[in-house]
Amino acid sequence: MLLTILAVLAAPAPKYPVATIAPALRENAHAVVRAYDEVVTVKSASQLVNTVHKVVTVLDGAGSDSYGQLVIEYSALNRIGYLRGAVYDANGLLLHQLRAAEVHDQGVGSADGSFMTDVRVRYADLRQPSGPYTVEFDYEIVSDNTLFYPSWQPQHAENVALEGATLQVTTPTSLPLRYHEQLLPPGAASAPVVAGAQTTYRWQLPAHPAVDEEPLAPPLSTLLPAVRLAPAAFEVQGYKGSLASWQSLGQWVYQLGQGRDQLPPAVAAKMAQLLVEAPNPRDRARKVYEYVQSTTRYISVQLGLGGWQTAPASSVASGGYGDCKALSNYTCALLKAAGLPAYVALVKAGRDQADVRQEFPSSQFNHVILCMPLAAHGTAPADTVWLECTSQTDAFGYMGSFTGNRHALLLTPEGGRLVATPRYAAQANRQQRRTDLWLTADGGAKATVRTKRVGLAQDTYAQLLHEGDPEQQKRYVSNRLPLSHFTITSLRLAAGPATDALPSVNETLGLELSGLATPAGQRLLLEPNLLGRLAALPAQVGARETPLALPPAALYQDTVRLHLPTGFKIDNLPAPTELSTAYGTYRSTCATLPDGTLQYVRQLELRRPNGSTPLPAAKYPEYQDFRRKVNQADHTQLVLVKHEA
Amino acid sequence: MNKLLRSYGLATTGCLALAAARPAAAQQAPVQPVVIKFGQPAPADFEARNFVADSAAAAVVLSDVGTTRFRVDGLSFKMDTERTTRIKILKKAGYDYATVEIPLYHRDGDEEKITSLKGFTYNMVGGKLEKVKLESANMFTEERTKNTRVRKFTLPGVREGAVVEYTYSVTSDFFFHLQPWAFQRDIPTRWSEYRASIPEYFDYKMLMQGYEPLAISQKEDGMTQYMASERVQTTTGGSAWQGGGTSHTSTEAQTINARVTNYHWAMRDVPALREEPYMTTPDDYVARIDFELAGERLGGTYRNVLGDWTKINSSLLESDDFGGVLNRGGFLKELVQQLVAQYADPAARAAAVRELVLRNVKYDGSNRAVGSGSAKHTWEQHRGTAADVNLLLIAALRQADLPAQPVLLSTRTHGRVSVSSPLLEQYNYVVALVPLPDKKELLLDATEPLLPAGVLPQRCLNQVGRLVVPAAEGEGRWVELVPAQRHSHYQQVTMTVDAQGNITSQVQEQHGGYSGVSARSKLTELGEKKYVTELTNQHTNWEVPSYKFAAVADVSQPLSLHYEVRQAATTPGTAQELYLKPLASFCESRNPFDNAQRRFPVDLGAPTQDVVLINLTLPPGYVAELPKSANVSLPEQGGSYVFSASSPTPGTVQLISRLTLAKPVYGAEEYGNLREFYRLALAKQAEAMVIKKQ
Repeated sequence: MLLTILAVLAAPAPKYPVATIAPALRENAHAVVRAYDEVVTVKSASQLVNTVHKVVTVLDGAGSDSYGQLVIEYSALNRIGYLRGAVYDANGLLLHQLRAAEVHDQGVGSADGSFMTDVRVRYADLRQPSGPYTVEFDYEIVSDNTLFYPSWQPQHAENVALEGATLQVTTPTSLPLRYHEQLLPPGAASAPVVAGAQTTYRWQLPAHPAVDEEPLAPPLSTLLPAVRLAPAAFEVQGYKGSLASWQSLGQWVYQLGQGRDQLPPAVAAKMAQLLVEAPNPRDRARKVYEYVQSTTRYISVQLGLGGWQTAPASSVASGGYGDCKALSNYTCALLKAAGLPAYVALVKAGRDQADVRQEFPSSQFNHVILCMPLAAHGTAPADTVWLECTSQTDAFGYMGSFTGNRHALLLTPEGGRLVATPRYAAQANRQQRRTDLWLTADGGAKATVRTKRVGLAQDTYAQLLHEGDPEQQKRYVSNRLPLSHFTITSLRLAAGPATDALPSVNETLGLELSGLATPAGQRLLLEPNLLGRLAALPAQVGARETPLALPPAALYQDTVRLHLPTGFKIDNLPAPTELSTAYGTYRSTCATLPDGTLQYVRQLELRRPNGSTPLPAAKYPEYQDFRRKVNQADHTQLVLVKHEA
Repeated sequence: MNKLLRSYGLATTGCLALAAARPAAAQQAPVQPVVIKFGQPAPADFEARNFVADSAAAAVVLSDVGTTRFRVDGLSFKMDTERTTRIKILKKAGYDYATVEIPLYHRDGDEEKITSLKGFTYNMVGGKLEKVKLESANMFTEERTKNTRVRKFTLPGVREGAVVEYTYSVTSDFFFHLQPWAFQRDIPTRWSEYRASIPEYFDYKMLMQGYEPLAISQKEDGMTQYMASERVQTTTGGSAWQGGGTSHTSTEAQTINARVTNYHWAMRDVPALREEPYMTTPDDYVARIDFELAGERLGGTYRNVLGDWTKINSSLLESDDFGGVLNRGGFLKELVQQLVAQYADPAARAAAVRELVLRNVKYDGSNRAVGSGSAKHTWEQHRGTAADVNLLLIAALRQADLPAQPVLLSTRTHGRVSVSSPLLEQYNYVVALVPLPDKKELLLDATEPLLPAGVLPQRCLNQVGRLVVPAAEGEGRWVELVPAQRHSHYQQVTMTVDAQGNITSQVQEQHGGYSGVSARSKLTELGEKKYVTELTNQHTNWEVPSYKFAAVADVSQPLSLHYEVRQAATTPGTAQELYLKPLASFCESRNPFDNAQRRFPVDLGAPTQDVVLINLTLPPGYVAELPKSANVSLPEQGGSYVFSASSPTPGTVQLISRLTLAKPVYGAEEYGNLREFYRLALAKQAEAMVIKKQ
């Protein structure tokens, strides 16, 4: 009896029992973050220690894979101090304590298209067969790379609720903290406390229910509270810098690369020769770019400081490869040797990537490009040319959806300067298509489809053209044909003239179709817009919560010529449709040409009335209505009737 | 005589012939091997006209030549594999073929080690051949996992038209694991050649697979010499127990004459291997030869290392990580005996035991044939590999007085097994077999909570598995992994159309069998609301005002969803004539077999059934022109499509559409039929019905 009582007394108190979670937090949630306590201690300008205490209750199987396990990255400049874990059952009783032998370690040096990095991961798996259960992880990262301070966003995914979270930063008062607060609720921040030579900053977040990702919404990471941290002064591997301004960040990176632009004499001489061969600076720059594209390729090696410091130009000259920094630095050196000054620029690259937070100078970039001011020459006015140096096939001066429509940090001898990269509007994101259809009496058809895609609209197709073999091209095109049964009889992709202002890709597609027109008694039913239909948006359930992020402005033009089978005639021509809204314009018409051919013409221009800034949630029904009307018009049906001879 | 000489002393007896590799095609006229000299590229490889036929390829393997030999290092054997590869880079898209990763395994002091790595790139620049050397500063080693390190390099100076070549040698202590040789890649290969000289001490099983013929397949017997040596310490002056004296180290060496078998295989002009939809894994189709050590000849006697199933079974059943797990389920006795009392019927009891394991242990997603710890450890961890989970299941079944036995299998992505070769390496998964009364058998797996007992997860449906039994019961047998269920989808629709063309439907939808698994996992991931939103989004103009799921948790029943759909007419006003495609919204909109050609079999895992039943009520005063009925069949009972339309009472129409694919796998030669079968079915489903006012 006594023993039993002792055992009860000695049993540890339950931790994070599921019953204590407020019902509102369980609603619509696969998991609940019970605690996310992060402590950042700045030891010096060159070192910081980051500890995280993270407790998550997994409510169902869908939350298990994301929250029942932990993966932490480390590298030459970030080591893991400790990693501990435990898992509790629904009542908060300990199920299992993570053992060192259960923490796996793995190199990820070849991940994400890299060739070699020193990045590794440790991972621990505490998933349980059935929920709810709670995992608790504690880890510490010691970082010798103070260019980056951690950011804190305890809730950042859908269907996960937050019970509470804290952030504490302690820094020598002589190394003031810089921070950026996003959508914090009132009272989240406390006033900094100075104690001796140290200053401590504190933030906390109250409970917040799970959120849902809605269609056409900005990324959740921009819609939920966050605190982003950055140093004022930092030091990496003996290189001191300041993040007080874009100017000072640019200065630091510029200086890292200084003296690394020496070219082998033979290469420098070859470039100098271009001064004679191509007196027009644009032509000369184009020749330099062609030289880079035909003699180098992208290979990413990121080791230690090499993640920020470029490899010397001479190594690219000898090996013929480099990463984005090295290839941009090399191209910059080549241009300089050809009498064309240019600047290396840092950019946050990626399709649909949000622009850098301009008001918060910090290391937000993941890619390097070149910016070259061109002086006026003859009748040609002054211009700025941007170059992507990691692509062997991109058009000269074209940024596209990867680096266009955003800001980049120019690295100049005077420091950094944030400037806009080229802007691509609807005309620079354009698709023009001409389809000829020869219909047969059984509803089958032969078709020739010629599609020209210009600017942003060609980005994926340019990649397909240059990187895919004919089989892959066919597969890709085939997967995107909204047809029930077809055979591709021919497919050809070709790049448009390199001298055009914008790159384009022309696609010529031959098709044999069956069941295109539906027989209905003596009639054939057919939707003439067979390839260019724009889908309607999903029906809104409940009120729209999040802002509306529209796709980039675009222009679609479709002409379909329908050659009727013998004996068939159109029953009556559908009336033209015309729509004009803030979100775009739409026009479709149908006419009989003198030779009896039916011609269907459709033009759709999609606009972004607010640029890349999202629209208020209240605008959603209006936009949805526009899309519904477009979709309805896109399903215009023709009725063909067979006339008995 | 030293240890090695004792062990591998000249064998004169027990002369088992090595299994000859099966050539994929009959021997033809002698083939002249393509000989390349490292460091000396052929001028022809820089002439565009020699690559006209490869216009579709980004790069071409000109030559890939490997040789494996054994040698004696001190007292132990080592295996050296030299490889020399030459690749023509035709396009920028082929630059990646200039980057090479070589995984090297190491464990307990034994390792695979790379030596003599060299590489060059050749470019023809203005009629002159330029040669760039791979510098050792640009070769990297990454410690990928505890037992794998990756040696990697990328060749310098690569441009369009370049020829790259590299050569290296891998020295390995793992002669239990002679690496396979693949003759085929995702780019065309002009010449791929492999030689292996295997001394009489080792007996390898060889397994050739793929769809490409061998140009050379030879086997010749010969002799070779090995030099074995041992460092021996001798002491002079003084005595061993007193110490003192002078110590000498000397090397004793001995030459061993041994018979070797020289194998030689080659393929010429091998096309690129392409992945197709509905394939298990491209590894099943690549032209490749695999090896597994079957036996060793030690001191004149043959020792079967793997060799046959009896041997494999015994070693599995004796090992701690397999047999040891099965028989140590005693800690579950109490829990399990409650189920015994509760369920007299063996099938029901087995299902209850499986349920117990499912509830307590989570499958961690990794597939193994052999466990990683004891049953108790897995139970306490609440987590394990497929082997951990299912060996524990067998242990628990045995505690419940059900004589369950393990069945080894290879998952679909791991590749097909060859029934002619007993190679444990071919297996990566284990399930339980429970004998039932009436000579019935139940296959049980406890990794997938969304499946009922007796239905194997789809990843396991890979033709056959191997029953593992103690030697006293024979050598085991093959167990057919017949899918116990289909991909089954059933929709019953009660539809009403009004004179304006507005449609209202009540839909009763059921996902059963393997469709039930995918539907349930989608439902878990998305939740009910998003599941229905996604369903709605697939259709233009659909509004779903209400829905209700049923049998969500009861995985023995199909997942059931009842919902209402409203489709507003697209044109206003009352029409004299309406064109309706009632089936179109409830059937597939695309032929799943959109490629015109097919090279490999179509593997769907399980049979398929898709049924749609529509009862349509017309607006008062309207009549329908009934579409024609149809009946399409695949040859040899491969499947059928039945469509019928009738008017059971005036003002109503009943449509039935039933698509059945009876086989889980169709040969490549059946592909054309399959594609046409779907075309006809889809055309029928898309047909419009004319509804007229009387």
